[in-house]
Amino acid sequence: MGITENILKHVGLGAKKPSGDQPVTYWSRNRGWLLLAVTGALFAAYPFLPFITDYWIDVAFFVGVYALLGLSLNIVLGEVGLFDLGHTAFYAMGAYVTAILNTSLHVPIIVLLPLSALVAAGFAFLVISPVIHLKGDYLCIVTIGIGEIVRLTMINNPFNLTGGPNGINGIGGPNLFGLAINSSTQFYFYTWIIIGIVVFGLVRLQHSRIGRAWNYIREDETAAEASGVDVRSYKLLAFVLGAALAGIAGNIYASKQMSVSPQSFTFIESSLLFCIVLLGGLGSIPGSILGAAVVVVFPEVFRQFATYRLLFFGLALMLMMIFRPGGMWPRKREGTGLDGLGIRGLPKKDEDLIPLGKPDPAMLKSATTAVVRGVKLPPVTVVMDEGMLLQTHGATLKFGGLTAVNNFDLNVRTGKITSLIGPNGAGKTTLFNMITGIYKPTSGQIDFLGRDITGLKPHTIISYGIARTFQNIRLFPSLTCIENIMSGPHCHARSGTWAAIMHTIGEVREERDIVATAAYRLNQVGLWKYRDELAKNLPYGKQRYLEIARALATAPHLLILDEPSSGLNDRESEDLMVLLQALVKEGFTLLLIEHDMQVVMGISNWVAVMDMGQKIAEGMPRDVYNNQRVIEAYLGKEDD
Amino acid sequence: MATFFEQLINGLTIGSFYALVALGYSMVYGVMKLINFAHGDLFALGSYLGYTLLIASSSWVTVHFGLWGGMAIAMLFAFVGIGLAGVLMERIAYRPVYPAGRLSLVVSALGMSIFLQNGIMAIWGSRPQAYPAAVVPSTRFSLLGLPVTTLQVVILLLSFTLMLVIWFIVEKTTFGAAIRATALDRSTATLMGIDVRVVIFFIFALGPALGGIAGVMNGMYYRAISFNMGWTYGLKAFTATILGGIGNIPGAMIGGLLLGLMESLFAGYVSGAWKDVFVFVILIVVLLWRPTGLLGEKTAEKV
Amino acid sequence: MRKTVSVVLACMLVAVLFLSGCAKKTGDTGTIQIALQAPITGDYAYEGQMAKQSVEVATELINKAGGVLGRQIAVTVVDDGSNPKDSAIAAQKAVSMKVVAVIGSYGSSVTQPAADIYEKNKMVSVGYGCTAVGLTMDKQRTYFFRTCGRDDAQGLFFAKYAVETMGAKRIAIMHDNSTFAKGVAEEAKKALQPYLDAKKTEIVYYDAITPGEKDFSAAVTKLRDTKPDVWYFTGYYPEGGLLIRQARDAGLTCPFIGGNAAINDDFVKIAGLDVAKGALMTQEPLVTDVTTTIAGQFRDLYQQKFNALPSSPWPVYAADALYAIVGAIGKANSTDADAIAAAMHTNMTGVEGVTGPTLFTAQGDRKDVPYKMYEVAADGKLVVHQP
Repeated sequence: MGITENILKHVGLGAKKPSGDQPVTYWSRNRGWLLLAVTGALFAAYPFLPFITDYWIDVAFFVGVYALLGLSLNIVLGEVGLFDLGHTAFYAMGAYVTAILNTSLHVPIIVLLPLSALVAAGFAFLVISPVIHLKGDYLCIVTIGIGEIVRLTMINNPFNLTGGPNGINGIGGPNLFGLAINSSTQFYFYTWIIIGIVVFGLVRLQHSRIGRAWNYIREDETAAEASGVDVRSYKLLAFVLGAALAGIAGNIYASKQMSVSPQSFTFIESSLLFCIVLLGGLGSIPGSILGAAVVVVFPEVFRQFATYRLLFFGLALMLMMIFRPGGMWPRKREGTGLDGLGIRGLPKKDEDLIPLGKPDPAMLKSATTAVVRGVKLPPVTVVMDEGMLLQTHGATLKFGGLTAVNNFDLNVRTGKITSLIGPNGAGKTTLFNMITGIYKPTSGQIDFLGRDITGLKPHTIISYGIARTFQNIRLFPSLTCIENIMSGPHCHARSGTWAAIMHTIGEVREERDIVATAAYRLNQVGLWKYRDELAKNLPYGKQRYLEIARALATAPHLLILDEPSSGLNDRESEDLMVLLQALVKEGFTLLLIEHDMQVVMGISNWVAVMDMGQKIAEGMPRDVYNNQRVIEAYLGKEDD
Repeated sequence: MATFFEQLINGLTIGSFYALVALGYSMVYGVMKLINFAHGDLFALGSYLGYTLLIASSSWVTVHFGLWGGMAIAMLFAFVGIGLAGVLMERIAYRPVYPAGRLSLVVSALGMSIFLQNGIMAIWGSRPQAYPAAVVPSTRFSLLGLPVTTLQVVILLLSFTLMLVIWFIVEKTTFGAAIRATALDRSTATLMGIDVRVVIFFIFALGPALGGIAGVMNGMYYRAISFNMGWTYGLKAFTATILGGIGNIPGAMIGGLLLGLMESLFAGYVSGAWKDVFVFVILIVVLLWRPTGLLGEKTAEKV
Repeated sequence: MRKTVSVVLACMLVAVLFLSGCAKKTGDTGTIQIALQAPITGDYAYEGQMAKQSVEVATELINKAGGVLGRQIAVTVVDDGSNPKDSAIAAQKAVSMKVVAVIGSYGSSVTQPAADIYEKNKMVSVGYGCTAVGLTMDKQRTYFFRTCGRDDAQGLFFAKYAVETMGAKRIAIMHDNSTFAKGVAEEAKKALQPYLDAKKTEIVYYDAITPGEKDFSAAVTKLRDTKPDVWYFTGYYPEGGLLIRQARDAGLTCPFIGGNAAINDDFVKIAGLDVAKGALMTQEPLVTDVTTTIAGQFRDLYQQKFNALPSSPWPVYAADALYAIVGAIGKANSTDADAIAAAMHTNMTGVEGVTGPTLFTAQGDRKDVPYKMYEVAADGKLVVHQP
């Protein structure tokens, strides 16, 4: 063990979290806070250390500015996984708004701080909204384009506003209620206190429903949408927040430099920000700060190498990625604590779990009653047939010349298990996709609980009370099981960004309910002991159950399962049937696609058969089983 | 009207350089999904290699092989040299990073780009150099009343030929099918018996090598070379590839040509200062209309 | 693993602090420390590295002649990376080195934040490659000077020459959207205004090319079609060389006039002698033209050490800056910043740099910077143009 590790262990700050048989000391329980206190003290003392000149304080200031930028990009790139290589556009917006308004209208810098954030955020909203649907690298080139467009516009000095390539000079410094900030030390504290506040907000956000939603989107967009997350809005939110923070960084930069020019906002700067986030670790808040420190300090340390200092910097980047590709301080998902998930209210002991079989109806819902509190559903406009929960009337989907689903009338009875069967390629999953909003029907109507849900977006349909699983399991692989499940109740909670940061009473209550629901469902499918395990590490069969638990956690009226027994052996299929029947008893309605005839025959109350997009039979299981047309569809026509 | 055709030829010339660089770029990008920021710098390195050969040999090459022969040998030298550099680069800087994912590879590529640029500056100095007039063929003639140099024609023809050859290899040969298969799904390709390492070796040799040839041609045509000349071309190559559609090699070429044409026409008729803004705006509009690029396939995602 | 990283970082920090503690300081005796802030890396590296070489030569000459106040001088280089943010850090570094004065820098938008920092810390700085008018006119600075000319002087010179000496009726002005080039172009346009109002001439082309690119065929075709009588390009020589050749290829025949960053040996190399011959340039007196002893010594030593002469005027102004600082120290008989600044404002008669006398106005600009029209002669060298 190294010297450092020994020392830290001695003080109780060792790297390992205390296992069951180690005594839990005061220090180890609170080591997170201790670390924080020590770091804070170091920060406060830094400018006053003996060999720290104004030069080093300025370097620390720039580390701060880049840390802010790194944190802002981290939201977009690290949390949501959006490829943004034009982030300096927002940085430039903040800097120039500050420059222009301060020099021409003498608006005080401190007022311009929030104003820059607002303008940058607004700008982001305007330009990103039309392109937010673009995937991966296409979004990347668009962001590069936006960055360049902003920079070139600044150079070309439209309406004589931006000062052209020379930029704008003579910007004032911030003035906090009479205290003018103009020395290096003052700027140092000013910047890092702001960063402290920002980090506080970001940590809160990371541990909230919003942060989780962002991670869901990064892991699997389709699954996130199908879990009730409004993917588009959250992506936009990430950009807007990131832009606001970048705008603040721009304001701070402008007020210290006292001048801005387009040279500070090149594509190379954007790439540097990108490197900061990756060097630190995607999604890691301390990582972004560390990354900024490396990027700013490294060339300074290597000053004596003159012409070669950038050469070494390039080398360092490559080496970092070879040896530490996850980043210097990667985001850990297992465990709780400072760098853990911060899931509040997770039941520590098994006794704290809600007992199985006794769900709280207000939270866990029962079939026909209204959904979870707080959700505003549109009024009932459609008259359903007697006892029907979901009905499709003439649902049709055409892909160009190919008709995948042809005039299908599906009837799903409340409180019963309906199975949709048919040969491969018949269009069953396509029909499910139409019901859950992934495809918009070419014609036809889909009614659910008295409301017309044809063509609505998936996350809206989820909030009405339908949940689904996928044929190829779509979990959030790098998140823990409990986090996966927590996506279920997401759409029924209402807390926004502000509530998440401030831990309002409403938000705390919602989080508690979300955790309780998730814990209950996880326990129900027998996976509670895997709660801190990453989803991708689970064996296949358990992953299936995890997906079902996630769907249950959305408190649906209707549970749609796409081939739930595929990949399960006989024993597992039997267990599944037991579970499904228990769910019906709890009050759920089930709609299955199934190939396993044992399951179909064993538990279905009603069967519909689909072939080539059309309904060829419908009825009680036994009748369908013996139907000639059905047999032909599966086995082919007998030669006479 | 004559001006319009002149601007058209100008655009096609710039465009064919962009297309050639984009071609090498998209070979790597299409298969490895690696945004190789260092590609532009390999292009610059090729230019410098050609320059060094022609200068160092004190025109021995030119004397013995003539101007065109000299150019051919310089291109060959760059082809081999940069091809080697590409393979080395992959081995040392990228292969260890594959398991970490695409984004880490981008950082690696950025580091490599900075390294190469500053390396070139360290070796050849920061002052811009020039291919001396003595080694550059300068015959010119008049084509349909428009002034045209033989070099221009040769470059255009050479570029198109190279593009056609690559297109043929990728689309029509078995090995090309192996390349496309690896691009679509690497693990399945290995299961089908394709030696992915050979494919990777091939693209990392050929892609940069093409960039190297483009570098020599560029040096000959414009004569000036500098250590940071690759950066712009790298970015344009990326833009061209996206414009044409990811993974679509003919698309990258068309993207490059279109890019050159747009730049030329806008600079010629509206404003040189705003031309890059215009190009990016057009790019965004195109992507809004066709989210997967002009020729990119809409891959259906099985849900 | 996180522990290892923090240990490594801690070691780095300690090493850095140790190294910074070894900063040299100028005392009352011993070598006089001066800093040179220059772009050693980044886009302007070629200028910065030449500036460094120039200052090295000047330092050697000054020390050989006995230094100043009986002491030798030493110059430390601080790299400002050709961009404003690194310039601010570099300036702080120079301040922390507690040097007597700073020579710097190159690029007006790069010099701006540095000048502010030097001013705040009451340290004399002399720019050598920053010609924006605003640097001395926007704010009154006590400690900032420059040995290079100003954009408005150059623009005025061009305007007068083009209209009155050349009689041009159609003028084309091209820049590259950089601080410097656009600055000169704007000043030229401003200076032409009275002529425009009197309808003696018109500006038929005013546009920018993108630096770093190589193909300007579209721009020159457009330029050609405006049928100018004279073409003024205020950008830098890498683009200048390419532009003139592409323009001649496209059939543009009017005279080419470059700004003082556009033409040098490399311009001739890039364009080719046949095309470069006859190109004109608005320029302060070049080191090759100045006949003072210092200029001769400078040329010889530079040639001896680096096998070439500086290919642009700015590095020479950096040497001038050093001479000015040293001269001021001598006149003020002290290394105190206020004394030096006062001397530079009022007491510089007799102080000479490589390009001639270094006198400063109240704002800190160099006094009496004459401009001449130079021409590329048949052998590729720049000579004064005889109209």
